[in-house]
Amino acid sequence: MPDQKTHSAENSPQLSRRSFLKTGVGGTLFLGTVSLTAGLSGCATAPAGRISAVESRMNASYQFQFLSKDDIALFEALLPALFAGALPEDPNKRQFEIAATIERVDQGIVQFGAPNQKELRKLFDLLNFAPTRITLARVWSDWPSVTTKEADAFLNRWRNSRLGLLNNGYIALSKIANVAFYGHENQWHLTGYPGPPAWMVDALPQFKNA
Amino acid sequence: MSMNDPIARGLASGWNVVDASKLTENRTVEADVVIIGTGAGGGTTAEILSKQGLSVILVEEGGLYYQKDFKMDEQTAYATLYQEGMSRTTADGAISILQGRCVGGSTTVNWTSSFRTPEQTLNYWSQKFGLEGLAPDVMAPWFQGREERHNMAPWATPPNLNNDILRQGCDTLGYSWKTIPRNVNGCWNSGYCGVGCPTNAKLGSLMTTIPGALDNQAQMFHGLRAERLVMKQDRIDHLEASAMSSDGVTPSGVTVTLKASHFVVAASAIGSPGLLLRSDLPDPHNRVGKRSFIHPVSATVARMSAKVDPFYGAPQSIYSDEFNFKNGNDGPIGYKLEVPPLHPGMAAGVVPGHGQQQRDNLGQLPWLQSVIALLRDGFHPESPGGTVSLRDDGSPVLDYPMTDYLWDGIRQSYLDMAEIQFAAGADAVQAVHMDSAWHTSWKKAKAAINELPMRSHRARIFTAHQMGGCGMGSNPEESVVNGFGEHHHVANLSVHDASIFPTSIGANPQLSVYALAARNSVRLAQKLTAKG
Repeated sequence: MPDQKTHSAENSPQLSRRSFLKTGVGGTLFLGTVSLTAGLSGCATAPAGRISAVESRMNASYQFQFLSKDDIALFEALLPALFAGALPEDPNKRQFEIAATIERVDQGIVQFGAPNQKELRKLFDLLNFAPTRITLARVWSDWPSVTTKEADAFLNRWRNSRLGLLNNGYIALSKIANVAFYGHENQWHLTGYPGPPAWMVDALPQFKNA
Repeated sequence: MSMNDPIARGLASGWNVVDASKLTENRTVEADVVIIGTGAGGGTTAEILSKQGLSVILVEEGGLYYQKDFKMDEQTAYATLYQEGMSRTTADGAISILQGRCVGGSTTVNWTSSFRTPEQTLNYWSQKFGLEGLAPDVMAPWFQGREERHNMAPWATPPNLNNDILRQGCDTLGYSWKTIPRNVNGCWNSGYCGVGCPTNAKLGSLMTTIPGALDNQAQMFHGLRAERLVMKQDRIDHLEASAMSSDGVTPSGVTVTLKASHFVVAASAIGSPGLLLRSDLPDPHNRVGKRSFIHPVSATVARMSAKVDPFYGAPQSIYSDEFNFKNGNDGPIGYKLEVPPLHPGMAAGVVPGHGQQQRDNLGQLPWLQSVIALLRDGFHPESPGGTVSLRDDGSPVLDYPMTDYLWDGIRQSYLDMAEIQFAAGADAVQAVHMDSAWHTSWKKAKAAINELPMRSHRARIFTAHQMGGCGMGSNPEESVVNGFGEHHHVANLSVHDASIFPTSIGANPQLSVYALAARNSVRLAQKLTAKG
């Protein structure tokens, strides 16, 4: 009987597990466990604070309020793949744009508020904690050793996955980074956006000093 | 700062405005009425009540931003003026929620479209929810009054090309279209409505009712989060509120207690049910947070051969209701067609993607044009809406499951929008969907769109219109407030925002909120002044 057959297929262990992962609640519980495990196993989840310029090529005056040193390493690995074709070729300029974008990602997340910060913490922990990085992201080496090609392959896996949870991870990563990068004046030329009209900037009081 | 700015001038003249992040000690204040929220509903209520001589306190969680802060910059604006720094989504992350969090609420960042509640919607409310008092002829003077207050009129300037493409496509296919009424005065036609109007031309709450209330001795606290309404016997006694610290999002630890004889909640269709749930107010039929609607929004993007510059010019000036009501309420879902502005940050954020492909897509921004469909949810049994509930920390979150009925509407909207864009001469069209390619003919697009998987996280869905969650109705078993926004079970509580809509509107909601808030506030003022 066709009806019965459909019914039993829906309840097969494989499909049930997939449905579970696809639900928001399942996803939250799952990510929560990862985050807890990552914390216990010593992943660096504290905000990085000020990083010395020598160590990171970042602007040493910037104080990170959300991203940890591991998160920064994660974004340093992902950004060349996220912005392939859009980052400057010149190594110094390229490093500068990557560092500046990561600082803006941090600033943006501060405004997200506690609940969304908590969700992002789980996502970043999942990607930084070796067992889950390998099983869920299928990234074998730690992020500082990941090539741009490998980072791109990871992004495509999550983008094209059948699992909504992983699609959501892809969307969160790309959305945060894209707004921080393409939304900034330094990158406007890439999109052909000329910026606010000069005649308005000239005419409006908020652009005049004192 | 120029003293031509009404906010700067008002502050200099001694308005009673408190930045709660500057408070160092707990305090208690008292007034006739405490209003929570300063958007379309809260601002209107504050102005009307204060003009009747009632003492009013306005409470706003977001900050007070005005002309000096509006510098046509996306990143600053999204971080400061939008809920959750523009990262708000539904519970499963599948639908992006664009919503204001600042003095003036969403009216400070909206695209100025100003529609009356469609007659079909008002008639449906009257039949299904016992809201005969909201019949179109009864409401007409209220709409007219608010149109005058906010200077709403069809946009007289020619539309930018972004909008004109919708007009051209509709014309070619014989579909109806109209010019959008906008709430502006002396608009510079620049295109920056969504990041705070830089020229003070947009007459949202920030430029109209908020100054109107403050000129009439209303007091306003901003950077102050309404935590809990506390009842004493059968009435609300006071509101407990937390001051934000200077970052605008973390509580500083300072609390403000606000006492009043009446409370008006106008904290939005997510914030208001959230506050009522946190306060554990009487809700015998478990209605608070239920039937939340969002006008699920789908989008297609077209590549044109001429430069569109979709970042400049009045963001919305042309709409089409061709598909909005044609199936009635029992058939497939209807939708309103409009156009969104495209700035680089928004475009890069709403269309997920990465690498060379993303760079190539965004590199064509000046030639891109987009159409959006706003699905009229809540009118059909298979569109019951979502649910607002509380997270562990007490903050509200909207769970909005997409149904097959809605997915059918999303697919059909992709088809209609793509056909219109090709009819207007598009070189290529792409659905805003993770699995959509660029299609170079209507025939190819049609075949491909019919095969697209309709699944959460694949189709990109947005909302800028949150409605419901404290629905109005004559039957307390099915609603939270009556047709005047008065709470069914708490005598000194009213709700004056889009949360009282029993369905979505089928049009951008700002004028509907203004008009209902005005009507309900006039009645409230009569009641409160008669008592005094």
